[in-house]
Amino acid sequence: MAPIRVLMAKPGLDGHDRGAKVVARALRDAGMEVIYTGLRQSPEQIVQAAIQEDVDIIGLSCLSGAHNSLFPKVVELLKERGAGEIAVFGGGVIPEADIPDLQVAGIEVVFTPGTSLEKIVTFVRERVKKGNE
Amino acid sequence: MSSCWQRQLAQTISKIENMDPQALAEAASLFLDNPSVQIIGITGPPGGGKSTLCSQLIQALAAEHKVAALLVDPSSPYSGGAILGDRIRMQALVSNPNVYIRSLSNRGNTGGVGSSVVSILRAVISRGFDYIIIETVGAGQSEVKIASIADTTLVVSVPNLGDDIQAVKSGILEIADIFVINKADLPGVDSLYIALRESAQKQVDGWTAPLCQTVATQGIGIAELLTEIDKHWQWLQQAGRLLEKRKLAAKFEVLELSRVLLQKHLDRVPADVLARNLNRKDINLLQKLDEVYAELLNLFGEV
Repeated sequence: MAPIRVLMAKPGLDGHDRGAKVVARALRDAGMEVIYTGLRQSPEQIVQAAIQEDVDIIGLSCLSGAHNSLFPKVVELLKERGAGEIAVFGGGVIPEADIPDLQVAGIEVVFTPGTSLEKIVTFVRERVKKGNE
Repeated sequence: MSSCWQRQLAQTISKIENMDPQALAEAASLFLDNPSVQIIGITGPPGGGKSTLCSQLIQALAAEHKVAALLVDPSSPYSGGAILGDRIRMQALVSNPNVYIRSLSNRGNTGGVGSSVVSILRAVISRGFDYIIIETVGAGQSEVKIASIADTTLVVSVPNLGDDIQAVKSGILEIADIFVINKADLPGVDSLYIALRESAQKQVDGWTAPLCQTVATQGIGIAELLTEIDKHWQWLQQAGRLLEKRKLAAKFEVLELSRVLLQKHLDRVPADVLARNLNRKDINLLQKLDEVYAELLNLFGEV
């Protein structure tokens, strides 16, 4: 069976990627191929990487508070570039109050700090499986 | 910027990687002997600066040329998954429409690259790139497969990883078309240079691998390196060597495909044999393997 390919991306200007790396390792340990973009990515860079890498799903991590503008922009660009079926989930420092609007904008799930890695891995696995059906 | 062809290429590469029969058949019908693309391999130890070097080369070339990069990282021996992190050094390049960057796991294959890399090369070549750069996993002394695939193989070394006897040893240093001493601002660069020149550099059919010094993080030595890469390209064509290189790559492709298909068959059989035998309580496989051994010999014939 083909391994799931995940893009872990950090849009915006915050310099904290321990969380993103921890999630990346958990996904790797679950047998997935995880491409990490590094810090300070624009939505355009993230979407272009997702397309070139043919990923199944994108995880966005943002700790600077810029998620409300940057996360939906990623979804919008994916659709514009004909890659709208790539699912997007988010994490980082995101107030609960912001989550409903993010979901409306196409971020399917937001994992706030303290979420178990198992939960994230399960979500990714099942979401990609559903997407392939 | 047209993402359409990039998306198609990306999806084709995935299918080839996953050994989709139709994708493999289509790739097989594409040409490998296209003489207007130079395939550059970059190998060397982990942390030696391959990705940064690759990024600098792409940046310089992409001003006027179409460049593709295939970046290989190792898969986990435990889970089979992988963290593909070479791209980090190159994300600034991603908005250049002349550049296509793809990360690949070696999927457990030893030697520095995955088994389907040449089939992938066929697909990439067909898109009209002028340069294709393949960066291997962080390589030890025996990861030499890149030399069977690339036209021009760059072997990256960094100072202070060993004394001059390391430079004499067989393996990766023998495959260099160009030696690159990266992190050349570190102490120890002179003794590395001398060691490589005296013990590793050799002439093969009229080409002597030059020794380039770079500080990739600062872009130092890149223009000179590109000059040597171009010189090697000229020599390959003048000496009639390019076709030989591509034939090597095709041979590698066939051998790898055979190995992978055969491995699938082999993986199945011992598991069946072992499963059958492990259920027998009177056999302790640590002490008595002869019945299993006999069964394997029966299946595969005498060695």
